[in-house]
Amino acid sequence: MTATENTESETPEVEPGIPFILNGEEVRANEGELLISAAERHGVHIPHFCYHPRMSSVGMCRMCLVEVDSGRGPGLQPACMQPVMPDMKVNTESEPTTKAQDGVLELLLINHPLDCPVCDKGGECPLQDNAYAFGPGESRFVEEKRHYEKPISISELVYLDRERCILCDRCTRFADEVAGDPLIHFIDRGAQTQVNTFPEHEFSSYFSGNTVQICPVGALTAQPYRFAARPWDLAEVESTSMVDPTGARVALHSSQNRMVRIQGVDSDATNWGWLSDKERFIYEATDSPQRLVEPMLRDGRGEQVQTRWNTAIKNTVDALTGASDPRRIGVIGGARLTLESQYAWAKLLKGLGAVDNIDAQIGDGLPADLVMGLPKATIDSACAPGGVVVLLGADPKEELPTLYLRLRHAIQNDGVSLIEMSPRQTAFADSVAARLNPLPGAAGQIAGALADGMVGTSIGGIGSDQLTTAHALLTSDRPVTVIVGRGNLAESADVVVSAVAALKRLVPNARFLSGLRRGNIHGALEMGLTPGYLPGGQELTAKIDGWEMAPQTKGLDTAGILKAAVNGGLDTLVLLGADPLRDFPDAALAEAAFERIGTIVAVDSLMNRSTQRADVILPAAMFGEVDGTFMNLEGRVSPVNAKVTAPGQARPDWMIAAEVAQAAGGDLGFSRLEELQAEISATVPGFKGIDLATAGVAEDGPVISTARAWEPTLTETAPIPPADDYGLRLVVDRKLWDNGTMINASASLGNLVDDAVLTLSPADLDRLGGTSGEEVQMSIAGGSSQGIVAMADARIPAGAAHVPFGVKGVQAQELITAGDPVIEVRVQA
Amino acid sequence: MGYFEGFAVTLAKWGEGVTTKEYRGGRKNKKGEISVKDEKAPKPERAHGRHVLNRYEDGMEKCIGCELCAGVCPANCIYVRGKDNPVDDPKSPGERYGYVYEINYLRCIHCDLCVEACPTQAITESKLFEFSFTNRSDAIYTKDELLVGDDGMPQKMPWEDWRPGEDLKTSGWMRATSPSGKAEYLGKGWSGELGYGVRAGDLPQDEKDASVRDVDPVDDHEDHDGGHH
Repeated sequence: MTATENTESETPEVEPGIPFILNGEEVRANEGELLISAAERHGVHIPHFCYHPRMSSVGMCRMCLVEVDSGRGPGLQPACMQPVMPDMKVNTESEPTTKAQDGVLELLLINHPLDCPVCDKGGECPLQDNAYAFGPGESRFVEEKRHYEKPISISELVYLDRERCILCDRCTRFADEVAGDPLIHFIDRGAQTQVNTFPEHEFSSYFSGNTVQICPVGALTAQPYRFAARPWDLAEVESTSMVDPTGARVALHSSQNRMVRIQGVDSDATNWGWLSDKERFIYEATDSPQRLVEPMLRDGRGEQVQTRWNTAIKNTVDALTGASDPRRIGVIGGARLTLESQYAWAKLLKGLGAVDNIDAQIGDGLPADLVMGLPKATIDSACAPGGVVVLLGADPKEELPTLYLRLRHAIQNDGVSLIEMSPRQTAFADSVAARLNPLPGAAGQIAGALADGMVGTSIGGIGSDQLTTAHALLTSDRPVTVIVGRGNLAESADVVVSAVAALKRLVPNARFLSGLRRGNIHGALEMGLTPGYLPGGQELTAKIDGWEMAPQTKGLDTAGILKAAVNGGLDTLVLLGADPLRDFPDAALAEAAFERIGTIVAVDSLMNRSTQRADVILPAAMFGEVDGTFMNLEGRVSPVNAKVTAPGQARPDWMIAAEVAQAAGGDLGFSRLEELQAEISATVPGFKGIDLATAGVAEDGPVISTARAWEPTLTETAPIPPADDYGLRLVVDRKLWDNGTMINASASLGNLVDDAVLTLSPADLDRLGGTSGEEVQMSIAGGSSQGIVAMADARIPAGAAHVPFGVKGVQAQELITAGDPVIEVRVQA
Repeated sequence: MGYFEGFAVTLAKWGEGVTTKEYRGGRKNKKGEISVKDEKAPKPERAHGRHVLNRYEDGMEKCIGCELCAGVCPANCIYVRGKDNPVDDPKSPGERYGYVYEINYLRCIHCDLCVEACPTQAITESKLFEFSFTNRSDAIYTKDELLVGDDGMPQKMPWEDWRPGEDLKTSGWMRATSPSGKAEYLGKGWSGELGYGVRAGDLPQDEKDASVRDVDPVDDHEDHDGGHH
């Protein structure tokens, strides 16, 4: 130790950081760094259970006791509670340290059952590992262990085995600090202390699966993974979740060529290791009974029967070439695909067929030029300390749950201020700085008032105090990020556009983060699966190497395609993993369109309402079965990897595109994924110099930033009809658990879907004479009335009526007419 | 042996009908006779043969589906899948049971590591190795075939050659080492096992080795079984 004491005086430049002695060597810690993480950075592992780098330290387990001498003689200190102090001497291998580790493990094992052979954690258990590495080897305790009822179900997805719990406080801290759902906690005292839920409230958090992953013992286990495999027969590959555009990094685990588990991977830029339960358990859909494994064709009697690939491909080609004009072909969907498959389909349709009626957004998105053209923020820049975030869109907890966790952390811990402009109050609850929940249709007006500085009077029910606070925040010199999504499906996207325009006028330097919710939607827009653009956001007039042609005129979006079909203007509809019959927010229009379309080709992995109506079904490989890349809402590109082989005859979407091209007498120019990736790197602006095979493999992945020549056209005037005195304005948004194709096909997630409930502000419900929890009659103009349970909820602005989209019971898509700026709904008690 | 000497052997054996003497496995010859010499050679105490899955005295399966045997198997011949024990009809004590248990005897090398790994002494090996198959599906023993019968004794497949008394020594004490892996370990007694009852613990291994050499296998079994202590 003496040899290192005067190193600092010999070095001419003073190194940054705090010098301290770790096991006899002088090393440096960052300012305020905890001893446990500083030691880990310098290659000294201090065993621990309760410490988690993404949560606050509590010093519950005492496993990280090490000998520390801060000048007053050596003593044992928990390394997870001790910030590094200058010149402190730390010994992690001394006799007192190992004795403390022995003792802590012996005490922890007094009551821990030795049922490792039947425990899901057995084999990857930190308690097992630490007991082997640092434990005494033998226990002196012969007494009976503490007993509790073996696993109790604390939610639909999580089991709790209290016998195994070592009271490390990780799950309870996660639920409270990170997720903001403090639904589990310690109860009782002393030796009787246990983790449990509150009486009659289950642990129904969207993030409950994370507690299973961070539990250092097998106390919390996941119901879908229960006894599915043992850790040593799992094979693992890192990938990116395609469930939503946050792009959470995940590890896919398989056993016997079956996906059995998804774990979160700690990525600094995106999910910090956390996942929503949808991202975590959605793999169950891949081997569900709804899975499409064979090509199918509608036979003479109208039945969908199994066929061969070349027959199905030939029928697809006939349907595409049979259309007299490329404008009589419509394509809906594409957000399920990898970037490579999106490019392949875009090249097939636009480059070989000049088809431009392609829309990956199924009527619930925003104009492509807005999403691609606004100056982009990253999740990190939005969450950077001291920023201001404007939430112009839906509740991220319901639509982008992992982004919600990042935003929540920034607001709770890093002084980020949130201005809420969502159509109803979100899960951020009391931590919102200014609350401007506009009535449907009014967002542009309110943003305009902010831009004009007219904050002295209340506008559209928003108080002047809230407007003043918001105005002050937006005009301060703090960086502003606007999250732009579609918060209300019963409101025209023009309203969002006008609000964005006003905010951009007020804060010219504002950066924008897309709040769209479909998996790889940003990849789809970038690859040209949207009307009017070629890959890379290029205009239709651009020339791309290897593309034979390009569409002449801008095509139709989903609503336009469906309307054209109703008018008999469509011969062929291709569904690229889309279910417009259930998913398009105008059920009547979708149904009418499907009745008129000549041929429907579905390229999909799961049977759903729309694929049941298809004439040709081409089975596609799913997430976990394909290699490729993914683009998240920041434009970040990260790898998607296959872990299992696709069942039956299902194959990747890009291969299907290549085969269709070949059968039609064309050639897409690639027959291997590497060739396809090389072509994207060579031809798509923004991807130049990026090797898609290695992008994001060892790091967070590059953010694609295309310097665009154009600015989005932003209109500030959206004509909104005056509110009618009898009606309420309809707010329709998504919940995490809905009747989507993937959730329906997942055994454990399918039954988490709630019944549709109409929520109103308490004042409105009183005025209408209704009682919370009882049925009322609801109707839209020209529609018959239907019964629905009404609930009073102060989070809904007065004058609005909220119905969730796509859940059980009342189908909100039947209430919506595509293109209407707002929907008025009548409610009678 | 040179080139022509080989022919000499063949010619010398020409008239005997069979060139080499074969073990007929107790089956009748063409004339319907069983050879008087049809008896098995004595096997070492710890010969490793066909596996059995044991059960507790009350009939519950000892296997808990933990897959440790499959994990340790160097030949990858064991396939186990665990499942939640049905509450109304539990197959084994505890939460989990093995609902698939298969051993592929085309791959098994009878190393006994599965037996070593088993935390409940569910899988043990009998000494039977006189079994051969004519098709793959016979060679892959399923859980139904491996589980001991209601008398606690191994089930006998048509293609296996069991002799009287051979099925008695198939249980947990066939393990090559004592449970903790230490030769001086004195066992703590066995849980009640179907067909074998409750037995005293293992002797330290060196003593046990010394004792077994002079003990008749069948008698040894009865010593333990009779006691039910």
